[in-house]
Amino acid sequence: MNGATTIAEFRETVLDSAKRRHYQLAWLSTVDHKRIAVLYMLTALVFFVIAGVEALFMRLQLAIPNNHFLQPDTFNQLFTMHGTTMIFLVVMPVVFGFVNYVLPLQIGARDMAFPRLNAFGFWMVPFGGILLHFSVLAGGAPAVGWFAYTPLSETPYSGWQGVDYWAVAIFALGTGSISFAINVIATVLCRRAPGMKMRRLPLFTWINFVNAFIILAALPVLNAGLAMLLIDRQLEGHFFLPAHGGSAVLWQHIFWAFGHPEVYVLALPAFGIVSEIIPVFSRKPIFGYESVAASSVAIAVLSMGVWGHHMFTVGMGRPLDVFFAISSMLIAIPTGVKVLNWTVTMLGGRIRFQVPMLFCIAFLIQFLVAGITGISHAIVPLDWQTKNSYFLVAHFHFVAVGGIVFAVLGGIQYWFPKMSGRMLSESLGKWTFWLMVIGFNLTFVIQHFLGLVGMPRRIYTYPDLPNWGWMNMVSTVGVFFMSAAALILVWNLAVSFFRGKIAGDNPWDAWTLEWATTSPPPHENFYALPPIRGRRPLWDIANPNRPDPIVGPDTADVTLPDHNKTGILAFIFSEAGFFGILILSYLYFYAHPQGGPGPQELDLKRTLIFSVCLFASSFTFWRSETALRKKQRGAMLGWLVFTIVLGGVFLVGQVGEYWKLFQSGVEVSTNLFATAFFTLTGFHGLHVLIGLIALLIFLWLAWEGDFASGRGSAFEAAGYYWHFVDVVWVFVLFTVYILPLFR
Amino acid sequence: MTTYQFFTTAWTWNSIVLVLSMLSFVGYFVAFGQRGRPLYFAAAVGVFLLAFISPFSALADGYLFSAHMVQHILFVLIVPAFLLLSLPQSFSLRFPLTYLTHPVIGWAAGVGAMWLWHAPALCNAAVTSRSVSAIQTVSLLLMGSIFWWQVLAPREEQRLSPLAGIVYLFTACTACSVLGIILTFAPVSICAVYQHPVDRLGMLSTIRGAWGLTSDRDQQIGGLLMWVPMCLIYATAILAQLARWHSSSHPEESNA
Repeated sequence: MNGATTIAEFRETVLDSAKRRHYQLAWLSTVDHKRIAVLYMLTALVFFVIAGVEALFMRLQLAIPNNHFLQPDTFNQLFTMHGTTMIFLVVMPVVFGFVNYVLPLQIGARDMAFPRLNAFGFWMVPFGGILLHFSVLAGGAPAVGWFAYTPLSETPYSGWQGVDYWAVAIFALGTGSISFAINVIATVLCRRAPGMKMRRLPLFTWINFVNAFIILAALPVLNAGLAMLLIDRQLEGHFFLPAHGGSAVLWQHIFWAFGHPEVYVLALPAFGIVSEIIPVFSRKPIFGYESVAASSVAIAVLSMGVWGHHMFTVGMGRPLDVFFAISSMLIAIPTGVKVLNWTVTMLGGRIRFQVPMLFCIAFLIQFLVAGITGISHAIVPLDWQTKNSYFLVAHFHFVAVGGIVFAVLGGIQYWFPKMSGRMLSESLGKWTFWLMVIGFNLTFVIQHFLGLVGMPRRIYTYPDLPNWGWMNMVSTVGVFFMSAAALILVWNLAVSFFRGKIAGDNPWDAWTLEWATTSPPPHENFYALPPIRGRRPLWDIANPNRPDPIVGPDTADVTLPDHNKTGILAFIFSEAGFFGILILSYLYFYAHPQGGPGPQELDLKRTLIFSVCLFASSFTFWRSETALRKKQRGAMLGWLVFTIVLGGVFLVGQVGEYWKLFQSGVEVSTNLFATAFFTLTGFHGLHVLIGLIALLIFLWLAWEGDFASGRGSAFEAAGYYWHFVDVVWVFVLFTVYILPLFR
Repeated sequence: MTTYQFFTTAWTWNSIVLVLSMLSFVGYFVAFGQRGRPLYFAAAVGVFLLAFISPFSALADGYLFSAHMVQHILFVLIVPAFLLLSLPQSFSLRFPLTYLTHPVIGWAAGVGAMWLWHAPALCNAAVTSRSVSAIQTVSLLLMGSIFWWQVLAPREEQRLSPLAGIVYLFTACTACSVLGIILTFAPVSICAVYQHPVDRLGMLSTIRGAWGLTSDRDQQIGGLLMWVPMCLIYATAILAQLARWHSSSHPEESNA
């Protein structure tokens, strides 16, 4: 090991030991939002290269008819991994990276509200990514598409472990995303600088604040579905297996109830980036700030109720088709409002055609096309014809690449100077831009027509039909242009990081707070904040003679909400979605009774007694809180112990119920009722257990005297969670135990 | 009976309701005189009468669950909203009624109006019994008014702040959507009387045949009405809250 020693000696000579430890750990253990943001983006870049190469392989396979470069199975694995990676490991991390870097700066905060939770959220990305890709070594990658339709994704049809790794990986990534959303909400509500009223938030911040709510509503739905899928696969459950009374269509509903909002989770940050860049490069304030802000809320609300348009071909029946068609068309209105806002902002402006702006202009045009083809899918009969064709592939790549990726590339060019202190090369950037625009349109414009002449998607090869050959070849050629663009981008990032022009604080003459600090910002973000009286604080400083109108009343500072309580309420919101899906699924299967054990096996009386214990524990916790407020340490500890005992008794009761069922031969795999029952009550029990652990930690802290100074907010936040677990039990008790009485 | 005959003849000229409506106009002018906003009041009474005497009411009365749902939505969300808008600025509630202005009560009333009356037993009873039906109508109007008070109360200080209002409306929308989803996908009939209607008007063959509304489809449409269009009403109200927030200049509203 001679080499190792020399390297160690070499290190000794370059860095002293303290410095070395610093460099070894600084990036791994960081809780600084700026570093976490960079980690997010670098991770996304790595996976972008992987997923891009996957796409390249697929296009090579499809370049000519009757090609046998790839096996059919390999092709299926490639499109599954490409889709999953691009959505969960590229676009989400990169936009989370932007938000992580820019959002705290834009509101004049020192960091996110929960820095360590922030680090957790990031580390879930490499964790999930590695899990997903480990499947390749464990028998093969999943080959079921990014939506993993059941029963194809169930054990009988996908016997190897690919889908298991996929599901666990997405679960981990979803958990990370939820923690990120909680952090964004708490940061925006509780960490704004003096004067940064909610009505003065920069649009990027506002849009991502709204987006955090979509994440909180959508991701738990997917997580519930994934848990059910995993229970099917690992514990031989029956949720999505029609052969045992399960419902394959239920999976589709759950997946798209997540999947459609997810489109907006990806798109809204892109809207936020564009809403920052276009005004700055048009030298005008955004046209209609209020309508951009409000239309984001409208998109968030509508996005929850339109998922059915992904399922027109399933045969949901005409009533569902009609309603989903109408609601899907409606969502074009707020999106159209935004396009109008951006266009009118440019109108009459002194537009600087620099790279960030070029990408935004391309975004506007490409996204408009994506929107129009998107609306065409709301028209049910047209959707029946085009859904399973390359027309759809072209549509969603126009959204994902022409829309989201173009905005992200613009955002990189725009904020890289802030992050690194150096400008990206403008000329290399223009090369990236033009190669990207040419390559993207070569690849995907023609796919619309391929779809319309009948080429189905998800086929690994195709016969030599008239025109199919050259059209596919054009599409494949385009990929090489995009690959070149990506290579130039990476080169640009690397070279400019070391040798780029020094940026200075505000290279674009922008107006939001992130440009009021140095590039890169110091660890604590700001040495001093400018006064904030409107939406463009830096404009007011640069133009003291004609400042923006003051937005809203300039009242004295108000106290911001407590971040612990805000965070836990956001978490509870997401948990409610998770349990909502489990309860609805239980009800759905309850209405279709199968043979074998049913609710009559359950012991209502005993459960009621234990339920009373659980409900009583909410009361005792409240007493404990009151005692804390009155600084009565003994009473607080006593009531807290009492709470824990009551919670423990409830859990013992649950274990007893399970034991009795096991004794009479009822297990998860017995029938659909058993699967649904154990899933619902099991997840509730798990939450009670987690709550108990949290309470035990608080007991220990209180014992050690941590609450002597009366820091009650964390304790109250834990209380919110405990009460929530009890409220969930009210619903579970009613659904599982009381409802059969009315049968 | 053909569709044309039905829509021309099936108007229910319920004299009690008509007289009460007329009296309510008189009462409104006596109580508020020039201070009120009578156009909104007329809209409230108009929508109410339309829901009560039009052929829709005949359909809701035992034939179609979906028609009942339209009525239900009009009684909970539309009529009470117009009623509150018609109140003069000076209007306020007196002591025992002020308990009703707590946001939790308002939220529970709005969501409860949806859930409670769709419990199978109550839903059936409201169709088969006249008196239960009357109780239902009155309770829906009341609960709807209590719900909207938080958003549409006559004076600014009686309402929730705009951002709290958005949370209030969004959670109510979600709670009602869940019921809509349950009704849409329920494989069993929630309100069994609509499955085999008593064919008082000789309309059943037209409804099932020409209109193509089987009882399954009917319940699905009912659920979807509660799910999608109703949520759009809440979404509109949310946008109105945002507009109010962005145009407000009172200090107490921009604290959030």
